[in-house]
Amino acid sequence: MLRKTIDIVDKNSQPAGRVAVLNTSEKRSDEWSLLLISVGADRDRQAFAQLFKHFAPLLKSFAQANRHQGWFPGLGEDLVQEVMIKVWQKAAGYNPEKASATTWIYTVARNCRIDMLRRKSNTQHLPLENEDYWHEPDEDTPVSLLRQKRSETKVQDSLSQLPKEQDEILRKVYLEGKSHAEASEELGLPLGTVKSRVRLALQKMQILVSPEYQDELSHES
Amino acid sequence: MSHNLSHHPDNVMLVEFSAGTLPTAESICVSAHLHFCEQCRTELLRLDQVGSQLLTEAEPAEIDESLFDTVMAKIDSAEASPKPATAEKVQSFPHSVSKLIKNPQHQPIWKRLSASVDIARFKTGQSEFEVALHRICAGGKTPKHDHSGVEYTVVLKGSFSDERSVYKEGDFLVRQPGDVHQPMGAQNGECICLSALQAPIKLSNPLGFLMKPLLRINPM
Repeated sequence: MLRKTIDIVDKNSQPAGRVAVLNTSEKRSDEWSLLLISVGADRDRQAFAQLFKHFAPLLKSFAQANRHQGWFPGLGEDLVQEVMIKVWQKAAGYNPEKASATTWIYTVARNCRIDMLRRKSNTQHLPLENEDYWHEPDEDTPVSLLRQKRSETKVQDSLSQLPKEQDEILRKVYLEGKSHAEASEELGLPLGTVKSRVRLALQKMQILVSPEYQDELSHES
Repeated sequence: MSHNLSHHPDNVMLVEFSAGTLPTAESICVSAHLHFCEQCRTELLRLDQVGSQLLTEAEPAEIDESLFDTVMAKIDSAEASPKPATAEKVQSFPHSVSKLIKNPQHQPIWKRLSASVDIARFKTGQSEFEVALHRICAGGKTPKHDHSGVEYTVVLKGSFSDERSVYKEGDFLVRQPGDVHQPMGAQNGECICLSALQAPIKLSNPLGFLMKPLLRINPM
């Protein structure tokens, strides 16, 4: 069963033609998302094997890029295992309206990576796992998939065109697992410069939602 | 649950949250804010796409052929002993906060801090911040105070005000060291806030232990 496909659109309130257009354009049809949906719905092992073949090498590389204190390259395959097991177990909860399979798997990997690091540096019982921070309220307003896809495309296209100085900070934070403060130290730049480069990058990728919010931020800096 | 909020975490915090580099105490506060703030949830969805795109562009690493079978074997053995499903209730508090309240290893309890303020400290397994709930009674005035460290506050219920503004459910505030403020509970009901207060740097003074009982900040 597909979770919440866009067919939910209230047909009575829409002219028939428009509904048809929405139905065809508002489904996620990329290969990985379809595979992930069949893993969730049908426990499809073959689909899972294909996801594994594609994502395991990327996840290992993602793990190896981490330069966080306490992390070492040998943890790469451990992370791959943990992430792929979670992908299998949680696939039924994947909501294709919200994110592509790749983004969803990224969030699983990010959460696993932090939990592995926290467990390593902490011998006591930790009451929260990282995915506890990402629990969304049930009544969340559904995002239009079309809007969602548009912003995905925008991020994809503009990320590759960012000036090197902005791209390098995002890579440090996302791949190496550094904070902005650590990035500023390593690059020998004032923290304010690092923050404003990140802000510029987010503006270019059209990630910030509210224009007032951007104004408020520029006052702060 | 979503309404327009005027106080959000800055985008550096959201980026670190999305990248998974934001420390525990700050992450708890951001997650509590997200429970109330659709705007920040939307920004995070987009920020996650940055991580996702960088993951896709990674140079694929070599994977040992036996790894897939190892993973499948672990999956099968986990499914042979399924965990009982826990019923998720509709929560008015953010999930992360509810889980800390129900932590079987450390049940937080309300303690009196002043005539109008109670505190319930959480155990979060880190030592930089005291993470706690503060409860201000209706119309309650807190003593004027300043901070030796950063303080993050998220309003979970009711509202309070200080010299600068009124803060409502979901609002996220940062107070820097040296900021002096005097929060006041709203007249129409109690106010509950989540807060993370940075602990002062440990004193190396040989008599430092004498000061310990005086320090109210207690990260755990």
